[in-house]
Amino acid sequence: MHILVVEDEPKVAQALKEGLCREGHEVALARTGEEGYYLLGAQSFDLVLLDLMLPGRNGLEILTTLRKRDQTTPVLVLTARDTVEDRVLGLDSGADDYLIKPFAFPELLARIRALSRRGAAEQFRLRIADLDIDVVARAAARAGRPLELTMREFQLLEYLARNHGRVVSREMLARDVWKETARATPLDNVIDVHIARLRRKVDDPFETKLIHTVRGVGFIVKDGAP
Amino acid sequence: VTLALRPAHVRTRLTLWYIAVLSAVLALYAAATLVFLWVSLRRELDRGIHHEFEAVEDRLRPAADGSMRLEGHDDPSDRLKFVEVWSPEGRLLYRSAHLNSQQLGGPPRPDMERTSVTSFVLQTGVPLRMRSGIRDVASGSRVLIHVASSEERFRHEWNELLAGLALGLPLALGIAGAGGYWLAGRALAPLGRMARQAERITADNLQERLPVESPDDELGHLARVFNKSLERLEESFGQLRRFTADASHELRTPLTAIRSVGEVALQADQEPARYREVIGSMLEEVDRVARLVDSLLFLSRADAGRALRPQVHSLLDVAQASAALLEILAEEKSQKLDVTGDSTVFANVDALVLRQAVVNLIDNAVKFSPSGTPIRVEVRRDGAQGVIDVADRGPGIPEAHRSRVFERFYRVDAARSREDGGAGLGLSIARWAVEAHGGRIEIVSREGQGSVFRILLPAVER
Repeated sequence: MHILVVEDEPKVAQALKEGLCREGHEVALARTGEEGYYLLGAQSFDLVLLDLMLPGRNGLEILTTLRKRDQTTPVLVLTARDTVEDRVLGLDSGADDYLIKPFAFPELLARIRALSRRGAAEQFRLRIADLDIDVVARAAARAGRPLELTMREFQLLEYLARNHGRVVSREMLARDVWKETARATPLDNVIDVHIARLRRKVDDPFETKLIHTVRGVGFIVKDGAP
Repeated sequence: VTLALRPAHVRTRLTLWYIAVLSAVLALYAAATLVFLWVSLRRELDRGIHHEFEAVEDRLRPAADGSMRLEGHDDPSDRLKFVEVWSPEGRLLYRSAHLNSQQLGGPPRPDMERTSVTSFVLQTGVPLRMRSGIRDVASGSRVLIHVASSEERFRHEWNELLAGLALGLPLALGIAGAGGYWLAGRALAPLGRMARQAERITADNLQERLPVESPDDELGHLARVFNKSLERLEESFGQLRRFTADASHELRTPLTAIRSVGEVALQADQEPARYREVIGSMLEEVDRVARLVDSLLFLSRADAGRALRPQVHSLLDVAQASAALLEILAEEKSQKLDVTGDSTVFANVDALVLRQAVVNLIDNAVKFSPSGTPIRVEVRRDGAQGVIDVADRGPGIPEAHRSRVFERFYRVDAARSREDGGAGLGLSIARWAVEAHGGRIEIVSREGQGSVFRILLPAVER
């Protein structure tokens, strides 16, 4: 994907660029609102990461002009303003999604994937190595042996499997699996316990481990060491 | 216009009002006195004339020339009394000499009553009061008698009073006004002192108080009320200061960790796995900072009066949802998490916010009570209140800490803080969440018998 990152903080911008490049995206950086505005007119992008607080031209202005020109490029807004009004304002101005700073990188990747995948059909059968998940029947098996999972464990495994090969943060799990809007310490502990139990069922009896912890970031399902 | 004319000082305003009211009262009083005096003086005069009339009636004698004379002499000193006598045919029979031929009442008229009293002014300008009557006198003849007396004396008396009042009242008003102005000044002086003192009190000397000069009057009351607000202000300033200090401490701890872990790792070349370890450890601290900032933001928005979206919910439902979320944690410690109670207790609450309070209480119960002990969540109704109790068999909260456990960053056991205790914000978030719904949260257990946290909310009917 060709992604434009409009972000004035150099460290954040550089980290975003590197991280996205590593994921195989092509990234253009704009340090000011003007620059971003100019680049948007000159090239075509598949996605824009837009910081709302910018020197020069304000992020929201860019967004509104972009939408006025009927450009439908998906825009993911990054903001440190954590108030409902700002969210509504951002979405009303034509943003497709938003992330509040500080955000976790895996979360950003997940949002980008979600935006690029919009409208695409969902998979009903997931396979990772010898793990087999049937989403419709809500059944999972490893090496042909059915796994006895609780409802929550299944949802967790499905979510990890859908994101397989990519790190999933606790925030993402809280929001997408537990459907909790606010992330609180107790919930993190709950997530950890569930992961531990899931591991006991999915990984413990087998040689190859599929669920891995990425310290300080979250969890990843993949075949082999992280 | 009235506003523009309003004097700037309360003192002046008070005095002006005082003078206005006082002059109205005095004017009324003076008018009543004058009227009363006029009436009573005239009545006295009338009585005198009546006596005089009867005396004249008795003393009238026929004279040789067919006219009449008064037996005895006119009292020469009393030149203020006048007598005139007419025959029914209109012939003048007698007239006081000092009338100097001026006509007093005139000859009889056909419509004349037997007795009448009138006032009129003599040609010389003397105001008179006159009694007229038709009488049969000793000689057997019928005559018309006029007896009059000058009103000058009583009018003079009345005028003197009028003059006295006209001079005295403004003087009295002036004195009263000056006195009132002085009194108002005296009464308002403590107010001025209080204002000056209050002006001196700033954030730096909030411990100072206004002097309470007389505790029982209005000004004393004002000073006390003001001092009470100062007290609250001082308290919240103190809390804020403590909070800022605590918050920076809480932020500094993970920042120090990040810094030292990073610096140490960079001192020498490391294996990639070791770097990964180091970065992971730093990210964990970052996560802690982020979460702390999240909680602080939540609380600061709570302070700013975050809008709730209340709906009628069954408290048992809220308790069950909270317990369901944390059940697995209790299970890990073989604790039995029991939710019981009355499903018909309803309250008007924002379920998400209230659930956060209950979740934090249950989380604490799970965390601080030993493995294998039961945790009981009970919902019931107590009069107009819905009650949620969260009880555990843990060590309980020592009496000394109870008043402070709901404060931000307060921890009962400072040593076991960060690893399992979080940032010490859970209970203050819980308290905010409950109080925002008009309820309160308290610790009801006795020391050594575990903890019972009680949430009380105003119950509603479904």
